[in-house]
Amino acid sequence: MAEYRAEVVIWMLSGTLSLVMMLVWMAQAAAAPGGQIRGYSAPEFATYFLSTWLVSQLLVVWVSHELDFQIRQGTLSPQLLRPVDPMWLHVASHVAERLVRIVPLLVMVGVFTWLSGASFTREWWAYPAALGLAALGFSVRFLYEYAIGLLAFWTESSASFQEVVWLVYAALGGMFAPLAFYPEWVQRVAVWTPFPYMLGLPAQLLAGKATLAQAGRGALVLLVWVAVFWVVRLIVWRVGLRKYGAVGA
Amino acid sequence: MKRYLRLVRIFLGATLSAQLEYRANFLGAVLASLGEVGVALLGISILFGQPGVTQVGGWSFREALLVTGFFMLTEGVISVFIQPNMSKIAEAVRTGNMDFTLLKPIDAQFNVSTRNLNVLRFPDLLIGLGLIGYAASGLEVSVGGALAAAVLYGSAVVIVYCIYLGLSTTAFWFVKTQNVTELFSGVFGAARFPVAAFPVPVRFVLTFVLPVAFITTVPAQALTGALGGGLASPLIAAALLLATRWFWRYAVASYTSASS
Repeated sequence: MAEYRAEVVIWMLSGTLSLVMMLVWMAQAAAAPGGQIRGYSAPEFATYFLSTWLVSQLLVVWVSHELDFQIRQGTLSPQLLRPVDPMWLHVASHVAERLVRIVPLLVMVGVFTWLSGASFTREWWAYPAALGLAALGFSVRFLYEYAIGLLAFWTESSASFQEVVWLVYAALGGMFAPLAFYPEWVQRVAVWTPFPYMLGLPAQLLAGKATLAQAGRGALVLLVWVAVFWVVRLIVWRVGLRKYGAVGA
Repeated sequence: MKRYLRLVRIFLGATLSAQLEYRANFLGAVLASLGEVGVALLGISILFGQPGVTQVGGWSFREALLVTGFFMLTEGVISVFIQPNMSKIAEAVRTGNMDFTLLKPIDAQFNVSTRNLNVLRFPDLLIGLGLIGYAASGLEVSVGGALAAAVLYGSAVVIVYCIYLGLSTTAFWFVKTQNVTELFSGVFGAARFPVAAFPVPVRFVLTFVLPVAFITTVPAQALTGALGGGLASPLIAAALLLATRWFWRYAVASYTSASS
């Protein structure tokens, strides 16, 4: 992974949605009477969106692209001969990439913090809590993206499913605004999904706007989703493999 | 000229019949288009949905929706016409297939720019046009304004094409360029809002450094009749066209094929 340093940095910068939203909300708050919107001033928006950016960088998963490619090109076959589930290979490469990513990531967050006037929480417990939620969130995302990638056994369009799910993740995760800003019916739907807990909640923790109790509840919800997607992934894998063998690939 | 038009027709037929073979893909593509527009609308309605907010950077909801419409339309133009061609340049350089393109008795830039088409994302174009039409129906739009918007949007498409071609042409030296175009789409995400919605220094960057403002904000301004310095857009398009043409020729001249 360290071989592709330039690439890693470019990929990090290309996930700009939260940065774009940060700038728009900061300008909005600056123009609003009293200098804030729903209790968020411009620097507070900066803190929230930089936090979502940071967390979303930790949650990046590209496994469905790889599965799509492997299934279509048949390079999955040799991996099936090994005594380990090929999933672990992907897990390892994702984790390794995270380790390469972390240093340039922190440098960039530092620069953006300095430019935008953001200020992160001083409570020490918020950091391990946010990291823990991000780790759980990563597991959830990895598992569902894996299941989506496996759809390539049946359909040519698993990439577009992946795109749709990314959009839902970004929207309900709180990339456009803190979740409290959303229309109420969207919030009501969102609390049943894992997305607010994997992205918005850790970001709120870093911004000093969420409590430890909320973090605990979020972790429980995410654990349930990890279990659900673990089973889903396993079923799709088993059924799909039978189909793959049947083609004679 | 006639020969080139005929070629476009042949290319079109070939890529259509290749894509219509995979009909299941269509469903996925439609899903992706709907998801995209849903998210774009959610983003803008959250922004305007806050208590006390009636305008963003001096733009009313309808006017901002116009910008979203142009954004969706441009996303469509990119994914239908531009991206499918440009992503192949790097691959052709890497595998040596570029040799065949260069040997053909037609202009190579024309060939690499028109050979492919992603018809599956065609709904994006319709969604974009629909949004523009809906937003404009609630605003006062003059005939002159609509004509100006059409011309300026034409320049916008040329600008987008030039940026993509310029970035993809670097493949002749760097081989892997998919990342660079990815970087541009990241910046292009800023075009979903009017430039006036951004803090002043960022506005400056989006107008003069990366001409994102000319792609969506300027045509929308033309429609609402609030056009300021946006008329520079055709000039920028022409300059970029010449520059990328030169860059392309320079790149081809220094191309040494994959095997040598």
